[in-house]
Amino acid sequence: MAVEISAPPPHSLRGIAVPKVVNVIVRRVLGAILVIWGVVTLTFLLTRVFGGDPVNLFAPPSATAADRELIRERLGLADPIPVQYVDYLRDVIHGNLGTSYLTLRPVTADLLSRVPATAELATYALIFGVTLGVSVGVLSAVFEGSIFDRATRVFTSAGLALPQFWVALMLIVIFFDQLHVLPGPTGRMPIGMQPPPTVTGFYLIDSIITGHLSTFWPALRQLILPVLVLGYGVASPLARGARTSMILALKADYVRTARALGLSRSRTWFVYAFRNAILPVMTMFAGTVAWVFSGTVLIEGVFGWPGVGQYALNALENSDFPAIQGFVLYASILYVIIYQLLDIAYTFADPRIRS
Amino acid sequence: MTTSLDPAVETVVPKPSRLSGGAASVLAAIRSFRSSSGTLPIGLGLLGFLVLTSLVSLIWTPYPPTATATGLFSSAPSAAHWFGTDAVGSDVFSRTISAGRTDVFYTVTAVAIALVIGSAWGAVAGFFGGWFETVTLRLLEVVQAFPALLMALLVISILGPGTFNVILVVAIIPLPDFVRLARAEVLTKKTWQFAEAARLVGNRPLVVLFKHLMPNSWRPLLAYASISAAWVCGNIAALGFIGVGIQPDAVEWGSMIARGESDVVAGAWWEALFPGLGVLVLAIGFQLVGDGIAARNRGEQR
Repeated sequence: MAVEISAPPPHSLRGIAVPKVVNVIVRRVLGAILVIWGVVTLTFLLTRVFGGDPVNLFAPPSATAADRELIRERLGLADPIPVQYVDYLRDVIHGNLGTSYLTLRPVTADLLSRVPATAELATYALIFGVTLGVSVGVLSAVFEGSIFDRATRVFTSAGLALPQFWVALMLIVIFFDQLHVLPGPTGRMPIGMQPPPTVTGFYLIDSIITGHLSTFWPALRQLILPVLVLGYGVASPLARGARTSMILALKADYVRTARALGLSRSRTWFVYAFRNAILPVMTMFAGTVAWVFSGTVLIEGVFGWPGVGQYALNALENSDFPAIQGFVLYASILYVIIYQLLDIAYTFADPRIRS
Repeated sequence: MTTSLDPAVETVVPKPSRLSGGAASVLAAIRSFRSSSGTLPIGLGLLGFLVLTSLVSLIWTPYPPTATATGLFSSAPSAAHWFGTDAVGSDVFSRTISAGRTDVFYTVTAVAIALVIGSAWGAVAGFFGGWFETVTLRLLEVVQAFPALLMALLVISILGPGTFNVILVVAIIPLPDFVRLARAEVLTKKTWQFAEAARLVGNRPLVVLFKHLMPNSWRPLLAYASISAAWVCGNIAALGFIGVGIQPDAVEWGSMIARGESDVVAGAWWEALFPGLGVLVLAIGFQLVGDGIAARNRGEQR
């Protein structure tokens, strides 16, 4: 890993042969499609083959066998499994994830209407968590063994071990119940308050660009606790990774050489060592993103956040199979895309892999 | 992380003995033990504490853990109810220590299943290679494309709640990591001299794998098992919290937090604080033990 890094870090993107770039991207896209196909198939198998009979959800206890057959027919469940599978694949390719048993609306529309709430939460949480995690990790490597380093260790250990929904509840107890400084778990806006007109779906941005500045502060206050909880969860593993990676980089020969040649301490640390140390940490980002999406399911539940996670939770509680399938598909496609993008970014950021 | 040691060197280095070499080396051994695995005794202490309270709860609790209306509803901690009471008047202290049995047992069982099946699978894939290895790696990619908790939720929503299903689901999540780790271990070590020697004297492949290779690979796997146990108990609690885990209202930490959720928002913090601390102690205990074992492994390789 980073031990063998000996090339001086400053580099540019010049010198990449174009066919190589295309080659990498095509391979990645094909790989991504293969994985998504696997996910689709697995979800189908799990819900259609091993799952319970959805007809039970619709048929009243008094239904006759003929009624049940009719329902089965309507749901498209009367065909043989392979036929259902082909139909399912065709629908998925057309973006049709079926109709929710619960809301009776297309799952795709349901999900899309809830994406902005989750996206706003996840974006701020990722920005906050990545910034906090990387800087704390790098600093504790630079000051290895100091009080700061030890305090960080406790902080990240707790972050890895604490159940997020519990942290969320405890923060509500402290900041809402006891100190009365932050709002309770009422979703994206305080009860009875209108959100700003929709442009991007991000309330903070919308309130600025539409001039509804009166909604900015309330929306921000609603965001603080969920972002804090999710961000803490993101920061902990990243801080660990960044610390390990930075310690290795600081011990590398080129750092000693740079210092011996008279470069300042801070330049050596934060430019030379950091740029090499951050590469292995970048590979952790994909896992982090996945983690945030898992996290939102529980955190949105606790904070009454009207996002995709809460939708999934409702679907689970009510055996709404199309919605569950749709959500899992949405989450894994998103994850695969982000993972592949990061992998491509990583390839270009690291001159050794690129050449 | 695979070791970069020269295999030839590793095989001739004798095991460090604490008895030979005089006082200086004893001192060095003690120092290296303390610096490399100081987390191990603390972790074992925390886990031991939970096992102890769980055992105590078998023979004694202040109130029966499932009894309701043992006092006022949602009353704050007091002399009669050390951890307070919840919305239906159950004693939170009795429930918290009894719930330890469920959570500890589920965690250990799930991790043991993942460890045994995952290691065997990964070892076979790494040792024999070929199509089995290719299929395994592709399958892992697909499974890991599901964010872990979502996969658990999906499987539980299909199989339905219940002890067996919960254990199965939380065991599946870390399983791919064990497969990868065991495969990497076997891939590195199958070219080492002791493995070649075992093969050359005429042992059958499976004997070489499970009698010679795996016994030399179990320590990183054990370290990882302990670290992943920290995640597993968090997932068990999360499933209980969502209410798709074990039976709703089970004496389990996550379910207890769920039962307290609405009261907590109204200020009854004790209903969620104490079961959450249970999860925390269990998770940190496993994490420290895992870190300790990993540190000792590194210490002995150096």
